[in-house]
Amino acid sequence: MTAMTLTAAVDCDLHVAPSSLGTVLPYLDEYWRSYIEDSTVGLSHPGYPLGAATTGGTPPSSYDELAPVLNAANPHRAILTCLALDGVHRNPYYAAAMARAVNDWVREEFLVRDERLRAGIAVSPLDIPAAVQEVERLADDGRFAQILLPVRGDVPYGNRLYHPLYAVAQEHGFPIALHAWGRGGKAPSMTGVTATYLEDYSSNAQIAQVQMMSLVAEGVFTRFPQLKVVFMECGFSWLPPQLWRFDKDWKGVWREVPWVKERPSDYVRRHMRFTTEPAQLPQDPHQIAQVVEMVGPELLMYASDYPHQHGDGFERLLAALSDEDAESVLRGTAAAFYGDLIA
Amino acid sequence: MKVVVCHVEDLPAEERKIVKVGKRSIGVFNVDGEFYAISNRCPHQGGPLCVGRLSSWAESEIPGEVEVGGSARFVACPWHGWEYDLATGQSFMGPNEIGVKAFDVCVTSGAALSEDVAHAEEQRSPTATGREPGPYVAETFQVHVEADYVVIEI
Repeated sequence: MTAMTLTAAVDCDLHVAPSSLGTVLPYLDEYWRSYIEDSTVGLSHPGYPLGAATTGGTPPSSYDELAPVLNAANPHRAILTCLALDGVHRNPYYAAAMARAVNDWVREEFLVRDERLRAGIAVSPLDIPAAVQEVERLADDGRFAQILLPVRGDVPYGNRLYHPLYAVAQEHGFPIALHAWGRGGKAPSMTGVTATYLEDYSSNAQIAQVQMMSLVAEGVFTRFPQLKVVFMECGFSWLPPQLWRFDKDWKGVWREVPWVKERPSDYVRRHMRFTTEPAQLPQDPHQIAQVVEMVGPELLMYASDYPHQHGDGFERLLAALSDEDAESVLRGTAAAFYGDLIA
Repeated sequence: MKVVVCHVEDLPAEERKIVKVGKRSIGVFNVDGEFYAISNRCPHQGGPLCVGRLSSWAESEIPGEVEVGGSARFVACPWHGWEYDLATGQSFMGPNEIGVKAFDVCVTSGAALSEDVAHAEEQRSPTATGREPGPYVAETFQVHVEADYVVIEI
């Protein structure tokens, strides 16, 4: 176990959520307040059913609720994640209005009150021009550190549709953060919607694999060579076999994607990072060390993922790391990845 | 050692011959008037490299915008699609990938060839014709034309 404490850590994924739509109503204009009243849209999010052991309780909905959590761990920086706009709807205008409201609420309720805090700019994949506008609106605020999208998009994230967002992300140095889950009702599988939460919960890794391959294969990093992507709450122990296969197949069919000039895994290792929750690892410390060596500890960034509970994988991961690697996972890699955004 | 492959007229542009030299199988290619020879054994898993597709280099700086240019001198192994440069034998799927043996090829006049050259045996599939040899062999005559030969250097 490392001698380093969480005090100097960067927590890349700490959840907050409005307790009800009433919390964010003041940040919406009259049209959207009446729309919410008339349409019965809600905040309920199938990714975190309140009774499930994995949910771990309700995310803080006020600074007073967050402060004890923050003070207990006392990280150097914590990046807030608010997924409230990914409700059950397909209205791009509502999504854009909710993104503005949620971001303003996060800023006023949390960011302005505590220097340890940063947040992701929540945007919706339903309307990319609106997402670009929202990033530009907040780019100079100085308290936002990434652009937050659900890992379950409507089209794979390598698609040209998203490129204007990547252009603005690169311009301002914002990493694209793809967080587990997506809008309510988004199928976790190409073959359709699952019947159970168990399947849904277990599916984020396979969705992340699709997105990882899409971003590389569609040439996003050829077009945006400074762009960074972080997969949040999607696991990482699946990387070695997936990257091996990705490289191997690329060698045979590279002519389809001549803009992919290097091994796919080279792009992944240069441009992508993965947060440590959930750490889906074996029990045996020697096997954990082998997995970590194959993944590369330099790809991992610490996230508490509070309040969600994915078991004790992270503790086992930390125990298997050298002091130097533990320091990188807890702080150093995030400091380099986010740079001035969390300085 | 010089090995005569064939008359130059027997290997016209955009055609190839796979020949046997001792125990080695070698593909000899005429690409746009340039001759290349390369081992017919893919170093990956031993696939018959030289029956694979020839392609030019493909270049792209922007997704969706591709330029294909130059002579088609990259041969792809039919087993896994791994490609090798006919001129150098170099695979280009990353810096650490193994290359394949490439041989020097030249066109030499028959008069210039010394008598100690070896002759490559063209490999044909035994089932290429699918027919049993008949009982008769008609008389044939050697025909020789003073011409240039494709010669590989082993």
